[in-house]
Amino acid sequence: MSVKDLIRFNDFSFKYNSRNDKVLENINLSINSNEITVLAGPTGCGKSTLLRAIVGLIPNMYEGEYTGEVIVDGIKIKDAEIKEIAKRVGFVFQNPENQIFMFSVERDIAFGLENLSLEQEIIKKRINEIMETLNITHLAKKAPHELSDGQKQRTALAGVLAMQPKILILDEPTSLLDPKTATEFMELMNKLCKEKGMSIIIVEHRLDLVLKYADKLIILSNGKIISNDTPENVFDYKKDVIPELSIPFSTKLYRELANNSMKFSKPVTGVEDMIKEVKK
Amino acid sequence: MIKFENVNYNHPDGTNALNDINLEIPENSITAIVGNNGAGKTTLVKHINGLLKPTTGTVRIKNEDTRKSSVAELSRNVGMVFQNANHQLFADTVKNEILFGLNNFRFNEEFIKERYDFVIELFKLKKYESISPLKLSGGEKKRVCLASVLAWNPEILILDEPTVGQDELQKTVLLEFINQLHINKKTVIVISHDIEFLWRLQPNIVTMSGGNIVEIGNSEKIFRNEELMNKVGIIPPQIIKIFEGIGIKDEMPLSLEDSCTVIKNLRNS
Amino acid sequence: MQFIANGFIYRKSNSIIHKLDPRVKLLISIQLFTLALLVSDLYNLLIIFVAISIFSLLAKITQRLLRTMIFAAGFSMLILIINYFAGYSLIYSVQIALRFISIVCSTSLFFLVTSPDELEYVLRWFRLPRDLVFAFVTSVRFVPVILMDTLQIMDAQKSRGLELEKGNPIKRIKKFVPILVPLIINEVIRSGELAEAMESRGYGISKKPTSLYSLKLANYDMIVIVITIISFSSIILLGY
Repeated sequence: MSVKDLIRFNDFSFKYNSRNDKVLENINLSINSNEITVLAGPTGCGKSTLLRAIVGLIPNMYEGEYTGEVIVDGIKIKDAEIKEIAKRVGFVFQNPENQIFMFSVERDIAFGLENLSLEQEIIKKRINEIMETLNITHLAKKAPHELSDGQKQRTALAGVLAMQPKILILDEPTSLLDPKTATEFMELMNKLCKEKGMSIIIVEHRLDLVLKYADKLIILSNGKIISNDTPENVFDYKKDVIPELSIPFSTKLYRELANNSMKFSKPVTGVEDMIKEVKK
Repeated sequence: MIKFENVNYNHPDGTNALNDINLEIPENSITAIVGNNGAGKTTLVKHINGLLKPTTGTVRIKNEDTRKSSVAELSRNVGMVFQNANHQLFADTVKNEILFGLNNFRFNEEFIKERYDFVIELFKLKKYESISPLKLSGGEKKRVCLASVLAWNPEILILDEPTVGQDELQKTVLLEFINQLHINKKTVIVISHDIEFLWRLQPNIVTMSGGNIVEIGNSEKIFRNEELMNKVGIIPPQIIKIFEGIGIKDEMPLSLEDSCTVIKNLRNS
Repeated sequence: MQFIANGFIYRKSNSIIHKLDPRVKLLISIQLFTLALLVSDLYNLLIIFVAISIFSLLAKITQRLLRTMIFAAGFSMLILIINYFAGYSLIYSVQIALRFISIVCSTSLFFLVTSPDELEYVLRWFRLPRDLVFAFVTSVRFVPVILMDTLQIMDAQKSRGLELEKGNPIKRIKKFVPILVPLIINEVIRSGELAEAMESRGYGISKKPTSLYSLKLANYDMIVIVITIISFSSIILLGY
């Protein structure tokens, strides 16, 4: 069952106290459940700030001028208690090393559950379930320095998913992974989204790795949203795209061919689509 | 130029990181080292500037055994730009950051001034000259790192994951920069996961897995070998997937323009 | 440095000592430590020494403890010499030296058989403020990471011609600036990221967080407690 407007931004703007200009300006945005949303844009465009606003780090940890509203699962973030937000939004940061606090994988996954004051039995059950789902049960007693980068990332993910959030945010999850592991990771995200109905937001530069899984693509530039639509519509050959964006090759090829009068039934965002279109 | 002869390397705790490496990297080549995490790519390149010395076997730079020289001596000719710019930048100004290497190697004043002026211009860093590199954005920091290493004009340049965190424009600049180095007779070695970038670069490719070299070849040969790519944890560039999917068996187009031409010709026939 | 550090870093094992409840391990170490402080004659100090050795054999950590002993012995030689030349008798000086070795070894023993996880449970059981316990745990957890960072930074700067071993003392100290500046900045950035991650996983929501495991004394633990307390008391009583 899909929920619309799970996350809503109404005219949201933010300026950090430490900086001179607004990092985000007049953001109006709606994100639904059961969807994977990819957020892209040049460095410094405000992506991290947007994520922090969803998870409540803004305004709770970062002070500044906050105008407009951010509403997550019906709760206004500005006035909400961390408790309420942490139950609903899970954030997996870019560097998994800095999210693993404890000396063993299972203790670290338990961290968030202990904070939520869940009963011991429930904690144990959730840990076992999530380790099962992410295929890390064999790593339960391992210390963080014994894990590979991919394993660390799954541990960080497990720690967040164990709290059963409705919304999962991932900041550049593929940056430390090799392409094969990155693809496996995205398949897992897809599975989580479809099976558990989560809303997953992924910030990524590497569109070639994630675009085929995206239901929505949001492009941010200089603090403003310049695109917010399905990948097909964003990359339609009639529309301009900022040069800083790393467009997947199949899409670049489609745009070039379409601009030279080749006919396509719909915009191409992946390899399979391109092959189909050419074979017609 | 660079030779690995039966090189084995074990970590201090005894685990094996490089296993029987035999490799020759010719002068004035562009080589990419590719493989899954933990394959030993960084361990391998650290043998080239002497940060690591082989447990058994020999590494030769221009026929000289690396064991005979210190890291500083080897680094005169082998410049390495590490993946994490924050592990390198420390100075109060971009100028001092760039001069650091030049001063350490004790070049004469004229040379230092000449090289400084050259790289500051090349990397368009003049406006940041008096600012601390620590205050710059990620992309700018990487440029400062590149500039500070290229400043002393090493013959061999090693880049560890240079495209991470870079946007499309920055990657294109990087590509042109590497090609320019090649034209200037430098030897370039790149460690990268960015397959799309590598396809545009068209380097010789050394694939590694589990401390071993699996196979060496040119980009076309390696990126069309599905079994190999699976084994070392990489995926083919989209251009290859597309054209093999369409049914092209011979040479792959290299660029966007070539790809368009091939498809148009297909359509017309 | 690594040599000494290995004498205080937890070593996984399934020895009978490792299997004890961490509070019992702490008790044993404290008893040995206290005995070393209270007891004065050579004879009794030797008994303590033997006790420590027995424990280390049972815990299968003799090799590691030996390193601590060597490190401590070196220091205590210094103590011995100073005391002797300060006018104290040779026997007294030897006693002081042995006392020092015993104190260091009993501390080392605890850290060698107690995992950082267990350490955290013990601190929590003492009802220390959660922030304090967490700060301690995080520091220990990240020590190896910070060490790796330092090594990577040193690699990067060595590759730019930095030669740490050369030059007069003043120059050599200056050479640490390119190592320390990036290191400190990296760790400050890391702290910020840690704080963000902690907040997002609900740290501080409740004053009484629950726990994955609870410490429970088994029969085995109780027996060991009784034995050690009896031995401890006997030695003290016999001493007087």
